[in-house]
Amino acid sequence: MSGVHDMGGSPAGPIERDQHEVEDWERLADAISSALGAKGLYSTDEHRRAIESLRNYRDLSYYERWVAATEILLVEKGILTGDEIGERMAEIELHWGGP
Amino acid sequence: MTYRPGDRVRVLPSKKPGHVRTPGYLKGKSGWIEAVIGPFPNPEDLSYGFSGLPERTLYKVGFKQAELWEFYEGPDEDYLYADVYEHWLEPGTGGKA
Amino acid sequence: MSDHHQHEETTRSPYAARIRAIEALLLDKGVLTEPEVQDKISYMEARSPANGAKLVARAWVNDDFKELLLSDGKAAASALGMEPAHPAEFVVVENTPTIHNLIVCTLCSCYPRAILGRPPDWYKSFEYRSRAVREPRAVMREFGFEPPEDVEVLVHDSTADVRYMVLPMRPSGTEELGEQELAQLVTRDSLVGASVPLAPDHPIPTGA
Repeated sequence: MSGVHDMGGSPAGPIERDQHEVEDWERLADAISSALGAKGLYSTDEHRRAIESLRNYRDLSYYERWVAATEILLVEKGILTGDEIGERMAEIELHWGGP
Repeated sequence: MTYRPGDRVRVLPSKKPGHVRTPGYLKGKSGWIEAVIGPFPNPEDLSYGFSGLPERTLYKVGFKQAELWEFYEGPDEDYLYADVYEHWLEPGTGGKA
Repeated sequence: MSDHHQHEETTRSPYAARIRAIEALLLDKGVLTEPEVQDKISYMEARSPANGAKLVARAWVNDDFKELLLSDGKAAASALGMEPAHPAEFVVVENTPTIHNLIVCTLCSCYPRAILGRPPDWYKSFEYRSRAVREPRAVMREFGFEPPEDVEVLVHDSTADVRYMVLPMRPSGTEELGEQELAQLVTRDSLVGASVPLAPDHPIPTGA
């Protein structure tokens, strides 16, 4: 197996059929990825590669992996820094009344 | 190497690191060319920001489930198809009955 | 900063603030504009399994359209006013009395989003991605559907640039139904092959 994501044929349990309500931040994660792709700033393939590189792949939800990968790519390409994302995050969480 | 529908092929057992779109469960397995899908830029290179050129031919490759899995539950005519790039294939044995 | 975020529950993921921060920074720096982001949100909201149901219902009543759908999925989708993605291919595979198709993407969750919108959570689950290739019949059994032994089960792993959708078989007893009524029988799950369309006398479904 080339990575945790390469899971075809692995043993696994019953399939959970519940559908969660898609949250606004998840819609946003989708849209940001898509918009960055449309501008040629990164590709779907790069995004997949970044997702596959996540050490905590199995612990994150689908869109959590998307966001983590988006951050990896934006930092990799020098578009944003990890620090400024962290700072802005802290401001937002404070505004929301704490994480 | 170009293939045509019906050709027998084997998926390379390569352990190439990095982003690949050939699943582990197919590596080293034998099947047949079901269809020629067409040329696409190579995702392995695209994923690191390269152009992915020259384009590689993508093939729809068929496999007998009974040959992919030990104790497969189902008849011999159950098949699995995956879309595999030309550079992951070599001429092989095995195929449709 | 965009105002389309609502107050999210306290059990929200830490990644909610993370993507908001990323959005804010990208907007501040002019990397993206608000309309660009909103555009993409609207794009995805406009897409749903109803599109797939329309394609299927039309194919059921019109043989020429069915032929087009099976030979050139993108052209068929465009003919009904949908915008398939490029450069990915959109391929529709047909269920018959002797063949049942099941779609999966083991490596991530490729799905014909440009037509059907977001895939359901179960399609993206590790359990489905792991088991659909190895034991498709057991997976379908969990969905309450079991193809008989004399029906071939064909699994398509969307590993590359093709997105797949299933053209399910038209349920029997539907000869009198019009296209719109037929479309209502086509569930999201049947478009992936995990299940089959509803019977014409089905109780009103609450989901799927």
